[in-house]
Amino acid sequence: MSAIVKDATRKAIVTKPGDREIRIERVFDAPRERVWQAFTDPKLVAQWWGRGHKLVIERLELEKGGHWRFVEHGPDGVHGFEGRFREVTPPTRLSMTFEWDGMPGYTVLETATFEEAGKDRTRVINISLFFTTEERDGMLASGMEEGLNESYAALDRLLATMG
Amino acid sequence: MVQYSPHLDTTFAALSDGTRRGILERLGRGSASISDLAESFGMTLTGIKKHVRVLEEARLVRTEKTGRVRTCSLGPLRLEDEQAWIAKYQQMLEDRFDRLDEFLRRSR
Repeated sequence: MSAIVKDATRKAIVTKPGDREIRIERVFDAPRERVWQAFTDPKLVAQWWGRGHKLVIERLELEKGGHWRFVEHGPDGVHGFEGRFREVTPPTRLSMTFEWDGMPGYTVLETATFEEAGKDRTRVINISLFFTTEERDGMLASGMEEGLNESYAALDRLLATMG
Repeated sequence: MVQYSPHLDTTFAALSDGTRRGILERLGRGSASISDLAESFGMTLTGIKKHVRVLEEARLVRTEKTGRVRTCSLGPLRLEDEQAWIAKYQQMLEDRFDRLDEFLRRSR
């Protein structure tokens, strides 16, 4: 394989179609099954997901609705990340929610799509969709309002008993 | 690290009042003038203005005056934090994929 192709493989294409979305497209020099394993086998995930730091895979329930929780031990401290799987379709699509303990409630929806890109090469398209202020506002405007009102009522009652 | 706890105090103080939560819910459906809000909540203009000011200080609401009408809409709360978070997140993803690339090459 030529050096040029290797460089192209390494390059990530990052676009931001809207403020709420990050799209990263990248070709990896490995067959699709292998890339799928790297994303879903705890032993393999531990070797790259922590960006070179120690990573403890506390949970990885690979099924729709399954819980995942990874803890990264970095130089700036210990960071927990977790979420739920929304879609597990081997070896083509993996979708999950993502939250960092340091920003609780800032949920990101991650969707990775795996495509064959020639012999033993795989294109990964990773889309991160952020739950932002605009979305929050949209939810206020929709049916969420009723749920919120109920929560606020419960909070009111709780605060009243504490008063 | 992104700092957000001082926000939370202001936010919770602003949200501790039923009328103010009602105003946010009303504005979630669309902008409204101070007099619209006063009418909806059966309050005086002065009363509504006080609540709106608290919400504005917490950045939950923004207001804009055009002529004699002050229009209220949902505010920019935590928008900067969100942008910092998105930028940080993108960097994290790229670092992670660099590692994945290395790992796949190493373990072939």
